[in-house]
Amino acid sequence: MNKEALSIKDLSVTYSTSGYVTQAVKNLSFELERGERLGIIGESGSGKTTTALAIMGLLSSQAKVSGEVTYNGKNLLSLSEEERNCCRWKKIAIVFQNSLDILNPVLTVRAQIAECIDRHLCMSKENTEERVLELLRQVGLDRKWADCYPNQLSGGMRQRVLIAMALSCDPEVLIVDEPTTALDAVAKNDIIALLSRIQKEKNLALIVSSHEMSTIQKLTDKTMVMYMGSVVECGRTKEVIFNPRHPYTRGLINSSTQINCFRDLWGIPQENMSKKAEGCSFYKRCCQSTDKCARLRPPLEKCGEDHCVACNRGGILKLLEGRNIVKSYKIKSGKIAACKNVDLSIHSGEVVALIGESGSGKTTLANILCGMLSKDGGEVLFEGEKIRGFDATRRYDGIQITFQDSFSSIDEHFTVYQVIEEPLRLLKIGTKEERREMVEQALWDVQLPNSEEFYSKKCFMLSGGQRQRVAIARSLIMRPKLLIADEISSMLDPSTQANILRLLKGLQNSKGFSMLYITHDLSLAKKIADRVYIMKNGEIIEEGSALTVFMNPESEYTKRLLKCADL
Amino acid sequence: MKTTTKKTLEYLLTLFVIITLNFFIPRIMPGDPFTFVSSEENSVNTVYSDEEVARLKEYYGLDKPLAEQYGNYLKNTIKGDFGYSIYFNDTVLNLIGGRIVYTLPIALASLVLSCVLGCLLGCVSAYHRNRFFDRSSYLLITVFSQIPSFIIGIFFLFTFAGKLGWFPLSGAMTIFATYDTPLAQIRDILHHAFLPVLTLTLAHIGEFYLLSRNSMISVLSKDYITTAKAKGLAKKRVLYVHALKNAVLPIITRLCMSLGTILGGAVLIENVFNYPGLGTMMRQAITYRDYTLIQGIFLFFAVSVLLMNALADILYRKLDPRVAQ
Repeated sequence: MNKEALSIKDLSVTYSTSGYVTQAVKNLSFELERGERLGIIGESGSGKTTTALAIMGLLSSQAKVSGEVTYNGKNLLSLSEEERNCCRWKKIAIVFQNSLDILNPVLTVRAQIAECIDRHLCMSKENTEERVLELLRQVGLDRKWADCYPNQLSGGMRQRVLIAMALSCDPEVLIVDEPTTALDAVAKNDIIALLSRIQKEKNLALIVSSHEMSTIQKLTDKTMVMYMGSVVECGRTKEVIFNPRHPYTRGLINSSTQINCFRDLWGIPQENMSKKAEGCSFYKRCCQSTDKCARLRPPLEKCGEDHCVACNRGGILKLLEGRNIVKSYKIKSGKIAACKNVDLSIHSGEVVALIGESGSGKTTLANILCGMLSKDGGEVLFEGEKIRGFDATRRYDGIQITFQDSFSSIDEHFTVYQVIEEPLRLLKIGTKEERREMVEQALWDVQLPNSEEFYSKKCFMLSGGQRQRVAIARSLIMRPKLLIADEISSMLDPSTQANILRLLKGLQNSKGFSMLYITHDLSLAKKIADRVYIMKNGEIIEEGSALTVFMNPESEYTKRLLKCADL
Repeated sequence: MKTTTKKTLEYLLTLFVIITLNFFIPRIMPGDPFTFVSSEENSVNTVYSDEEVARLKEYYGLDKPLAEQYGNYLKNTIKGDFGYSIYFNDTVLNLIGGRIVYTLPIALASLVLSCVLGCLLGCVSAYHRNRFFDRSSYLLITVFSQIPSFIIGIFFLFTFAGKLGWFPLSGAMTIFATYDTPLAQIRDILHHAFLPVLTLTLAHIGEFYLLSRNSMISVLSKDYITTAKAKGLAKKRVLYVHALKNAVLPIITRLCMSLGTILGGAVLIENVFNYPGLGTMMRQAITYRDYTLIQGIFLFFAVSVLLMNALADILYRKLDPRVAQ
């Protein structure tokens, strides 16, 4: 059995500078055994580096540290500076984030590596010399670099020197802070390979903190996701990356070009906001937050095997679930099955593409899901409740649908204002003035002109793109949690289509609603979808994350589709 | 190699400009050497007749057109002939040589003292940043360094030499004294040099203090200091090897450059203490419009500043591997 190398209990770090107090790390706990590899992911400022520095005991005097950092049964935080110095580097070493100033500019590489050895391992001069060269060899640097100054090295070489330096005293725990940022792809790969080789060889307990998913993915077995100083999700790395349970983790993954290589890049909306003492720290950026989230700080709770998430709603919600949906149409010669036992689910904040050729049952399914069409069998649950009739569409925070043909979905003799205001008026929401404000906002959102002249325009005077925008505005005025977009761009020219899609995706990203995007256009789906369902003859024949479906399709039909679309 | 040639050319050009200015500035001043040449300071001013002035001008070559004088001056300077003082009746080289032995020691002594003390205080201050020692020494030194050095000098002269009589009022050594031992002579010289050196040191301690404090503060917040601490190195090694080696770079440059300002400062201070150095002689040379001597002294100052600049360049290259490349 591996012995526990490092254990962190309830670690909190508070910076107080000139009366301004920031809690950089909140109640962090984890344990690490020898040979284990732990990753810490988070945006800049999430507390990764502070955690590393706290473990090393290197925080400035302005930082207040509480909790326990136990190594070998000793609480490092209670040791004196001298006692800590014996442990630093010899037992726990750190590879700092690579920066120009991280190595002393006036000392040679040799001197900077040798001084660690001199300090901790009483060696003769010759042995030290030999060890320095051996370390350089280990990290793949020629011995001629030993006598160089840091400014003569490239970024990748500097990273290697940092690693050689960290390994100089054979530590048991190695903390690696952002090992691959600012490196080119080749250097990045080399460094990752180097670190993982060394970790195996020396059976190191490794902590890698990074904001690069691919690095974490390749270097670690366990992962913690940190947001504003607290852990919002932790679990096995594979599980966290491919089945994230916290909206923040999903946002990070969606922002990663390595993991999300097809879609447009969309970061997590809003930068870090000043946080309140109580409540979930992700509250303001979350797509599924409730009032409870503003008040209550969620604890880290188990949500699967070796998988924990800190979310008041138990992780990413299943917003819509269709089970066993059956629907058939009668024609003269018999029955045509449009949906055969369809199962489908949409999570909050997710863009799901439903792909199929015409006549595959997509639109039927969409109409059933939003309650417009009765089904022959099965059930549809929205936020855990069965949908009856138009329940879900005739309310705020429900489901809205936008149709393919905006020429027929909008009464062309209505004015723009009438079209957009209509749902509010029918449902008797708000006073006249309030409604007007809402219409203005909706038009603003879809980037249409906000003028009296435009309000009173009859819809037959609008272009196709404008009409589709008006239709979207009509849907969004009901603040839907799920927007079903049924082939909304298929009748538009490519430029208008691009504009509408970017607009829609931008709105989705900032407002956080989920979207079911129905299309027969694979390349389009590839650009926008998080998950994909492939439908044929009323059946779902393939489903999965966009990456897997497009990279490794399983069914023959999908393969053929991809081939036809030249993807 | 290329940069060295470029640098050398730069220095030569600067030197040429200085020599030229050196020639013209005394000549722009009103008056000429012969208005004063016959008179001692504070005595009856006898005046040369016009014929005598013309003869003397011819003798010293001052009647020739300015361009020709300039040409001759350049030629002689390059040959190492700095001319003959009209007032002191000696070669300029001899005169400067005779005075420099007084000026250089007090300049160097105060330079070293102000640098060492200033840096020491600066480093300690930086290490205890924002604590009592730092705040009080910072305040004291910034205020103090704003007072012009000659005022400090006059104050010392009045109190310690005049009122209290602890130090001699003027000169570099007691006049007409005979010494029993060489030690007694040295003691006498130190006694005379004490106040000028103290004044000059105080005048320059501020710049070294502020510079080293700033430099140390910025170095202490650098990433490589965190790296050094993380390695578990002893505090001494972190401070004296990792921090100081970096912090000392700007100080070295300043030290070299300061020689120029400290020589300038010495001119004032020597006059306050009536110290028989280059400074007092320069005042006299200017009073008597002793063109050749003025040129000589100015040139000496200019060349020494240039040399120190060059030294700073060379040292910096040696010490900072980033510049060395």
